[in-house]
Amino acid sequence: MTFRDRLIATIRAARPVLESPGVLVVGSEVPNLLEKDAAATLVVSQDLDVGVSVDCHATLRERLGDLREFEPSGDEPSVWTPRSAGLLELNFVGMDPAQDPAEAYVLEDDLLPLLVFGTLSLVSRGAEVEIGGTRLALPRPAGLLLEKLVTDRTGEKGERDLLVALGVLAMSLPGDLDELESLYRRLRGELRHAVRSNLTILSLLAPRSGMPDPQPRRAEVTALLRRLEAGDPEIA
Amino acid sequence: MTAVQERRLRELRSRMLVRAFDYRQRRHARGVWFRLRRVLAFASEAYALPRSEAERLIAEGHQPEPVGRELEPARIILYVPRECVAGIASARPLAVRLSAEILSAEFLALVPFDVDAGPLR
Repeated sequence: MTFRDRLIATIRAARPVLESPGVLVVGSEVPNLLEKDAAATLVVSQDLDVGVSVDCHATLRERLGDLREFEPSGDEPSVWTPRSAGLLELNFVGMDPAQDPAEAYVLEDDLLPLLVFGTLSLVSRGAEVEIGGTRLALPRPAGLLLEKLVTDRTGEKGERDLLVALGVLAMSLPGDLDELESLYRRLRGELRHAVRSNLTILSLLAPRSGMPDPQPRRAEVTALLRRLEAGDPEIA
Repeated sequence: MTAVQERRLRELRSRMLVRAFDYRQRRHARGVWFRLRRVLAFASEAYALPRSEAERLIAEGHQPEPVGRELEPARIILYVPRECVAGIASARPLAVRLSAEILSAEFLALVPFDVDAGPLR
């Protein structure tokens, strides 16, 4: 069974929650789903991140009973583990558009408590796609790319996450980059610095198996860095 | 809140504190790695040079990047047009990434993606 098969089967099995209002697929599987026919050529993690708007948590909660092929993990109830090996974990995360991007909090709930990550406040609802008979919403590329670039990245996982950002950048259209720049300009200095810092790391990463090769795209990464630097008061 | 969530939240907040500290210190020693990465990010090609060639390029008016002097031992990092490097037979090409080769090169020539597009100062 290929990774794509597992991803599609997971989406099919998670339909009750993925079609719930205020729910987006976020995280590293998004570039996989944006590929032609959801080709899913990037294997970054073995889970599907499900972003839940905190305003819609109650509605989603009512649908959890229909999620028959998963069960909450004993030590981390926002992670629902599959009952069969052919599926990926579901990792529920909270999204609060009013939150500071550098903050996080826990939305307490006895059934589905959520870690609400401030960086996800940059993500907003984008295109809907139908995959595995499930109509699911994806984030707008600009917000997702900025979320990937503003998040503190460390170690092997951090570098792979940055290569996911490269995958999103590769699929972005000029309008997406305009939107990204506009979102970037609204960030405070520390977060803008984090974005630029991550772009320099991305530009200098070595190729990795199964991930987009950063070397041929270095010029694009640098062009984005230059664009964000231009007019930034931090760049004297 | 579960123990796992509490730990994740604590770790995330710790990382944010470190990042805020790094940001406040960015114009000092703490920011050297960022400045070095930034200089490398604007380069499409990198070459290790012999000392004599680096000194010749400086004598011709090429200014060393300030970040090179912040490293110990100091490095000479020069942005030069591609045609300049092409004329140096002893220039050794290096992949532009954070590697031992790049970091150990005492004299480094960088070719910007665009002739007029070195890093903004």
